[in-house]
Amino acid sequence: MRVIRPRLPRIVGAALAAAFVLSACSSTTKTGPNAAEPAAGPPVKGGSVTVAINTEPTCFDIHVSPQDITASIQRNVFDSLVAQDDQGNFQPWLATSWEVTPDLTGYTFKLRTDVKFTDGTPFDANAVKVNFDRIAAKTTKSQYAASLLGPYAGTEVLDPATVRISFTKPFAPFLQAASTAYLGFYSPQTLAANGDKLCAGGPQLVGTGPFRFAAHTKGQSLTLENNPAYNWAPAGAKHQGAAYLDKLTFRFLTEDSVRVGAFAGGQVDIAGSIPPVNVKSLEGRSDVRILRHDFAGAVYSLFLNTTRAPFDDERVRRAVQRAINIGPNVQSIYFDQYRRAWGPLGPATPGYDKALENTWPYDPALAGRLLDEAGWTGRDGDGYRTRDGKRLSVQWPSAPAAVREQRDILAQAVQSDLKKIGVEVQRPALDLGAFTTNAYAGRYDVLDMSWARFEPDVLRLYFNSANLPSAGGQNAAWLSNPQIDQWTDAAAATLDRAARDRLYAQTQGWVIEHAAVVPLYAATTLFATGRQINGLRLDPNAWPLFHDVWSTRR
Amino acid sequence: MSSPPTMADAPTPVDASAPAEAAPSADPGPRAPMRLLRAVGARLVAVASVLLGAATLAFVGLKLLPGDPVATLLGPQTTASPAVRAQIRADYGFDEPVLRQYLHYLGELLHGRLGESYQLQQPVSALIGEQFRPTLELASAALGLAVVIAVVSAITTAGRRSGLRSALSAWELVAVSTPSFWLGIVLLTVFSFRLQWFPVAGTEGVQTLVLPAVTLALPIAGVLAQVLREGLETALAEPFVVTARARGLSRIAVRVRHAFRHAAIPLLTLSGWLTGTLLGGTVLVEKVFARPGIGALTLQSVNTKDMPVVMGVVLLAALVFVVISQVTDLLYLVIDPRLRKG
Repeated sequence: MRVIRPRLPRIVGAALAAAFVLSACSSTTKTGPNAAEPAAGPPVKGGSVTVAINTEPTCFDIHVSPQDITASIQRNVFDSLVAQDDQGNFQPWLATSWEVTPDLTGYTFKLRTDVKFTDGTPFDANAVKVNFDRIAAKTTKSQYAASLLGPYAGTEVLDPATVRISFTKPFAPFLQAASTAYLGFYSPQTLAANGDKLCAGGPQLVGTGPFRFAAHTKGQSLTLENNPAYNWAPAGAKHQGAAYLDKLTFRFLTEDSVRVGAFAGGQVDIAGSIPPVNVKSLEGRSDVRILRHDFAGAVYSLFLNTTRAPFDDERVRRAVQRAINIGPNVQSIYFDQYRRAWGPLGPATPGYDKALENTWPYDPALAGRLLDEAGWTGRDGDGYRTRDGKRLSVQWPSAPAAVREQRDILAQAVQSDLKKIGVEVQRPALDLGAFTTNAYAGRYDVLDMSWARFEPDVLRLYFNSANLPSAGGQNAAWLSNPQIDQWTDAAAATLDRAARDRLYAQTQGWVIEHAAVVPLYAATTLFATGRQINGLRLDPNAWPLFHDVWSTRR
Repeated sequence: MSSPPTMADAPTPVDASAPAEAAPSADPGPRAPMRLLRAVGARLVAVASVLLGAATLAFVGLKLLPGDPVATLLGPQTTASPAVRAQIRADYGFDEPVLRQYLHYLGELLHGRLGESYQLQQPVSALIGEQFRPTLELASAALGLAVVIAVVSAITTAGRRSGLRSALSAWELVAVSTPSFWLGIVLLTVFSFRLQWFPVAGTEGVQTLVLPAVTLALPIAGVLAQVLREGLETALAEPFVVTARARGLSRIAVRVRHAFRHAAIPLLTLSGWLTGTLLGGTVLVEKVFARPGIGALTLQSVNTKDMPVVMGVVLLAALVFVVISQVTDLLYLVIDPRLRKG
């Protein structure tokens, strides 16, 4: 345990603590400013860094787990065929070059020939085939990676350094999918020996990355160790060769106050998922840096069920969209750290339509007029609108077990805003099982979701009629619109960036104009690092990359 | 809660606790082993039926959960394909009739198999085995600490109308009513984040055990001390105390050697409640202090709908309760010789 630490912020309980501790506080060692100064000069090799994260992965198998935290950690253990930069362009990684057939059903990759797994076996075309086939096999029970492979038909080994991946339909999102950690590569040797033991984590998870998975203590921490042979970092990396750190430890500190306290007290070097309420006080300290990353993917939104009364009436949907005072609500609940959303995509997502910003401001008067037009003109004793004696009431089921990011508080704000225009929002709290069953059966008026992914194809998953919940999809607004289907299908079938941007912009504009969705906020990824930490970057998915990180603390 | 016979009924109060009374019973005939065997057999049957009941209740409760088990397992936002869903359904036997699932589950239990975790790809028994040690360490440290605090606090203050007694008594009430979640965070804030005396979390070494054990121990110590003091004060009012004092025993010796023995019985009776508090308390304490253990495992498996693990933990809890109550029954005999005669 490290003892020397700078001054701490006051945290809840400190005052009460004083009563218990009497004079003991004076023994706290305070360091001079020097100890916390960032190091100038060249990167230092060696040392170890501890990172506190807010979730322990349930399953560490990248091919099986749908969890963001799994990919976030494993990004440092597994490499991908290609890398994606912040602008959404693809760069060589394990593949040096690639060709795509004009109909987008075949991708041929030329592979590096110098790449080795940490068990010493070479990475080659066969490894690609074994891994992709495993993901697609239903016995793997992949909860996410298989969907990233889309209409996967198979992989052909053309020669040891050339591999061709085929799809039954045109599939433009494949390069992005291939750049994520979910489509990373295990050593075929470990898949054969330990294929059914990868969820638990441990040294059997053999990849090609800058770190290897050394150990996992369930409920406590996991340790990654340097892969000294690493020499195939993607083009965006700040250096080639092995990672600087000898050891990287992730601690699972799931309690926000404990994680922030442990960081502020210097027991960990880096903390993830900093609660917005703590950002200002941490930022005020000279020995702390806050790392931000804008949200990519589908922002946290309310989806209005367009097939059920009253939201089958577009006027009612638009009224609700305009009657929620989103900006101030988001600002006050998230302490200026999260951004109010104007469209279904987060601002960092390729294809984000900036033109939608400020186009549908808070306007309760307009909302009232729209409801009047729709015939909801009566009022009952509680002040809610009625039509033909029936109250204007909507169901927004919640699953308390799945609530995070203070979304329950935001929901209360939404409820009270809508009450002002006479709309009642009921929030039955359901068990996760009942919630899920209701959701897929469409027994709701409002459903809230977000989906982090650096890819506008989420619009197809969210609004294309092929993805209705009844078919197990995520189209929670139950949209069946031929125009939307055509745009999102066409965008998934072209690699032409300009064409995709145009199609996705049209889709975003349509779902806002017709109020199928009410976007609320785009969460900002927040990491806090001590000044001793240098070189930490977040990739486009907001996953931290530790290959370039070094620490000045010896 | 059963209470022991009051002192007034006891024939020879003072000498009842003398070691000589613990001599073997007067009937070491050939039928004694049979009787013992039958008694042990009856207990084992009782234990087995409690476990069967717990397993059945857990199974029924699980089946009564609303919603499709596959959808529940995958969560509300999943991209799992219909093929994957079908695979999960088949692998975990969700498509079989409930009765067959139940019988299969019981059959596995009989062979000592608790099944395989849905989410973690590990046998439940291995998971529980691996997580049991840290919880056992935490629980025994907390229990030991709580007993020491309670005994010291009660023995030194029982029957005395001093300011110390009121202060300790008031403090105990506060400790009992303090949510351990909050207490843990306050202790961490002071002793870990601020004073840096203890690391925040983990299971390496004794120093990581101090704060969680204190957090878990304080509310228990509060209840124990209150009950113990009450019992001591009742015992101290008995005539045998005067007799003992008249024979020249010091105040403290009377308390420790005689009154304490009487007061210890209700304390023992509380052990069931205590076990529950320890097991339940570890869920919160392990979460706050980021310690591995049964509590953390329970929380994770409930959150991820990992039903085999949940059922394994239910069985473990039932087993712990059963074992504790058997041990308690034996300890009654050790502490109170009057119960041995029957």
